[in-house]
Amino acid sequence: MSKTNVVEVSNLHFARGTRSIFSGLNIGIKRGCVTAVMGPSGCGKTTLLRLIGGQLIPQQGQVKVFDQVLHSLNREQLTQLRARMGVLFQSGALFTDLNVFENVAFPLREHGSMTADELHDKVLLRLEAVGLRGARYLMPAELSGGMARRVALARAIAMEPELVLYDEPFAGQDPIALAVLQRLIRALNDSLQMTSVLISHDIVEACAIADEVILLGGAGVLAQGSPEALLKSTDPMVYQFMHGQADGAVPFHYPAPELITEMRTATARSHIQTSVMTDHQELK
Amino acid sequence: MLCKQLQLIGQWVLCRLAGLGGALFMLLQSLLVLPGRQGLQRLLQQLYVVGVQSLIIMLVSAAFIGMVLALQGYTLLVDYGSEQAVGQMVALTLVRELAPVVAALLFAGRAGSALTAELGLMKATEQLASLEMFGVDPLHRIVAPRFIAGVLALPILVIIFNLVGVYGGHLVAVEWLGVHSGAYWGNMQAAVSFIDDIVNGLIKAVVFAILVTWTALYQGYHCIPTSQGISAATTRTVVYSSLLILGFDFILTALMFGGL
Repeated sequence: MSKTNVVEVSNLHFARGTRSIFSGLNIGIKRGCVTAVMGPSGCGKTTLLRLIGGQLIPQQGQVKVFDQVLHSLNREQLTQLRARMGVLFQSGALFTDLNVFENVAFPLREHGSMTADELHDKVLLRLEAVGLRGARYLMPAELSGGMARRVALARAIAMEPELVLYDEPFAGQDPIALAVLQRLIRALNDSLQMTSVLISHDIVEACAIADEVILLGGAGVLAQGSPEALLKSTDPMVYQFMHGQADGAVPFHYPAPELITEMRTATARSHIQTSVMTDHQELK
Repeated sequence: MLCKQLQLIGQWVLCRLAGLGGALFMLLQSLLVLPGRQGLQRLLQQLYVVGVQSLIIMLVSAAFIGMVLALQGYTLLVDYGSEQAVGQMVALTLVRELAPVVAALLFAGRAGSALTAELGLMKATEQLASLEMFGVDPLHRIVAPRFIAGVLALPILVIIFNLVGVYGGHLVAVEWLGVHSGAYWGNMQAAVSFIDDIVNGLIKAVVFAILVTWTALYQGYHCIPTSQGISAATTRTVVYSSLLILGFDFILTALMFGGL
C-alpha cells in the first residue's frame, strides 16, 4: 500500500451484462481524508462502493484495501478486513426487528469481546455522538428518515473503523438533517482519525466537507482534485456536472429520432413546428 | 431454424439447471454451521412465525375438510348400507392424502409467501448486504433458522390437521347424521395402520416442508430487489411450491401405496 492510500483501485474493469461500468479505472483514496466520489446517475458510484466493500468481484484489475487485494482473500480474511470498515447504506439498512440500541450494538456483539457494561456504555457514546441517545428504545419504523440515517451512522462507526463508506448520505434529507449529517461526517472523520469515502450527488454539500473530489463518468475518472479546483475547471463535462447544468456535454435527452417524426397526429406535429419556429424567432 | 430452437431449449435447460444448482448450494451453505444459543432463539422465533401463526388457517380448513369428507362419504356409503365405514374413509383420506397435501398448499400460501416477501424486502432495504458488511453470513443468520423452522413446523401442523379433520368428520357423521360413535372410532382404529398410513403421511409432510421452505427462501434471497421483483418472486413461490407438492405427492404415493 502506498503510505498515503487506504484504497487503491487499479486497471479495474467491471460490466453488468453487455454494459461496461468501468474500463481501466485507477483511483486512490488518501488516508485521513474525506473523498467525495461524484458523477451522473448510472456512472457506477454505488458499484464502486460495493467493489471497495468486497461485495462485488472485479472482472479484471484489482481493488486493494489496507494493502490487501480483496478478491484474493478467503471468507475469514474478508470478515477480518470488513471489521476495519464501516458502511452507511443509502437506505440506512437498519435491522427492522431490532431497536435503535440493538442496531448500534450489533457489530460490537458480533466482533467485540467486551462485557455487557462496556458494550452498553459504548453504544450510548455512539448514540450521543449522533444526538440520539434518548431514542435508543425506538424501533426503526418509529424513526424519521434523518434519524434513521443518524442511527445507521452511529452503527457504521460503532467499531471505530479506519475506513467508512457513505452511500448517498444526504439523499432525501431535509435541510436540518442534511446539515447535521454533513457536520457529523466531517467531525467523526477528524476526531476518530478515519478515512471517509462519500458517494453523493449533492455537489454543494459534498464539496463543503470533502478534501478531494473524484468525478466519475464514461467508465472512468473524468476529473480528480480539490473541490475548488473542480469547481473552477473549464472542461465541458466537469463544468456541466459541477454547476448542475441540465444540458451540455452530457445530453439531457436520451438518444432518439426527431420528436416530430414520431408524432401520430397532425395537431401535435403542427404544435411542435410552431414552437420550434417561435424558439428560432426568440433566438434571433 | 431447428438449430436455433434447439439452442433456445438448451439455454433454457442450462439456466434451470444452474438455478437448481444455485438453490442446492445455498441450502447446503446455510446448513453447514451448527446453530449456537442465539441460533436456537432465532429458530424458536421462526417456529412461532411460520408454525403458530399458520395454526388458525390450518384448524379451520381441517375442520371443514373433515366435515365435507364425512358428508360426502355418508351419502355414498348409505346406499350400500355401509355408512358405519365413514370413520375409516375420513381417516384414511386425511392421513394418506388430504392432510399433507392441503396443509402443504396452505403452508405455501401463508408461510412460504411471507418468507419470500420478508427476504425480498430485506434485500431491497440492503439489510442482507449490511449483514455481509458486518462479517455475518446472511445464509446462517437469516436463511438457516427459517429453513429448519419450516421443516419442523409443517409435519406438526399436519398431525394437528389430521386430528381436527377426524373430529370434524365425527361432528357431521355421528352428531348430525346419526352414525354410531363406536362404529366410527372402531372401524377407524381397525383400518388405519400406524406405519403404512400415519408414518407415510408424515414422510410426505417432511418432503413437502423441505420443498416449500426451500423454494420460498431461494426465491426471496435471489429476487430482483424492487416492488415488482418481490411481487413476482412471491407469486413464483406459491406457483412452484404448489406444482412441486402435487408432483411429488404422485411420486410418493406411487412409491408408498402403488406397489412399486
